[in-house]
Amino acid sequence: MKRSGISILTAFVISLFYAALLSACASGTTKHATSVVDYLFPKTKDPIVTPGIPVLSLPLRVGIAFVPPPAGRDLRSGRLSSGFTPFQGGGDLALTEKRKTDLMLEVAKNFKKYPFVKNIEIIPSAYLTPGGSFANLDQMRTMLELDVIVLLSYDQVQFTDQTLSFTYWTMAGPLVVPAQNNDTHTMLDAVVYDIASRKMLFRAPGTSLINGSSMLVDQSQELRADGDRGFSEAAVSMISNLDGQLALFKEKLKERPEEFQVVRTPAYIARSGGGGGGSLDSVMLLLFIGLGAGFLWLKGRR
Amino acid sequence: MVKGPPLTAPRLPGWTLIIAAITLIVFFFPALGNLLIYDRAAIIHGEIWRLLSGNLVHFSLAHLLYNLVAWLIAGTIIELYGYRFFPVLILSSSILIGITLYILEPELYFYAGLSGVVSAAVAYLCLQGMGEKGVLRWLCAAALTGLIAKTVIEIRAGSSFMLLLHEEDFVPVPLSHLAGIVTAILLFSLLRVTPRLRQPAR
Repeated sequence: MKRSGISILTAFVISLFYAALLSACASGTTKHATSVVDYLFPKTKDPIVTPGIPVLSLPLRVGIAFVPPPAGRDLRSGRLSSGFTPFQGGGDLALTEKRKTDLMLEVAKNFKKYPFVKNIEIIPSAYLTPGGSFANLDQMRTMLELDVIVLLSYDQVQFTDQTLSFTYWTMAGPLVVPAQNNDTHTMLDAVVYDIASRKMLFRAPGTSLINGSSMLVDQSQELRADGDRGFSEAAVSMISNLDGQLALFKEKLKERPEEFQVVRTPAYIARSGGGGGGSLDSVMLLLFIGLGAGFLWLKGRR
Repeated sequence: MVKGPPLTAPRLPGWTLIIAAITLIVFFFPALGNLLIYDRAAIIHGEIWRLLSGNLVHFSLAHLLYNLVAWLIAGTIIELYGYRFFPVLILSSSILIGITLYILEPELYFYAGLSGVVSAAVAYLCLQGMGEKGVLRWLCAAALTGLIAKTVIEIRAGSSFMLLLHEEDFVPVPLSHLAGIVTAILLFSLLRVTPRLRQPAR
């Protein structure tokens, strides 16, 4: 009985030792992340938002924004979905406001080529409140006169000393990715919402994997550079996917007209190259103004 | 020359303001624009009012403002001077522009803009003004010559000054301007050769 008690105690101590060892090994992980799910649906007990039928009045006014992290969350102590605690973080240091703007401009540049886009507003992070949900999007809609918003979120994980697998939580569910030493895994996710109807139109992720090979001495700098490169590569991948998803969405509009109402305004018809306009240019307008002035001058003399 | 009464009290340019108000309403209600725009496919399917109403639709605010400013200048002066048959000019030029585009521009699926009717009004104003005395006669002759020359050059070149100036992102259709000018010349000629219609307005 006494031997049995000692065995249990020994097993407990060994378990604690392994737990501590595992924790230490897994701690070489850095994570920076924001989530569209956390932003749009911050309170799970709230009633589920039932989307209406979107009325897409072309051309659309589009907003692009990075979703903020949930309120009160310290990104430096964020937890990996696998349950391990990162030893260092840095929060939004991974993606500064300027870097976010640059990425949003890249997405905007890609969207601008489409005739169904009237204009694109780059929305600074400060305009979006953590967990602001659709009420916050309604404010953006009124303030910036938007029809549709592209919500961008990111998830970047950097491993420094242990082989792991980890999980991205996307709007479409979990995505499990294996990891190696000094790897930088990045995912950018673009979710396109019709604000008025609260309907998600389509989404497009972009991923990047950079295999690091840095020595311990310059590891910090190397990881920072890899992190930056990861965002750039993920953006390229996401933009390419956006084009593909957009093409699929157009097909969906044709196949399921009962789900989406599309109104093509004269302005869209003009932009899409299907029409011509009877319009005066500055030269003609000046000619007419001169003629009008002549008539009025004569009237004044009568 | 079909001359109006002497200019005593200013008269309200009613037709000019009515057309201006309609174009503004149509612009700010895109659904109405969809119903009125010159849409070749819809015209083929019987919606023939679009031949006429396409002139009241505009693609952009700049497109609307340019046309509207020119329209207000030309229309107001025509009505202030009491030049007759202005409503006839508006209606006939709108119809002729639609028919001309339908026949001569089969690849034009959509058309919008008041500039064809504005061109008709300006040409009509110039023709009437050429009957006035003094400098105005020569000013009108020069303006009409310039208007016709510019329109013909644009049609022959298949381009326009507007494209050179990058003022709009749609294809300009100078044929509508020519149709408007031709309507004005036809109406003016008809008034000249029909003595009964030459009676001045009272």
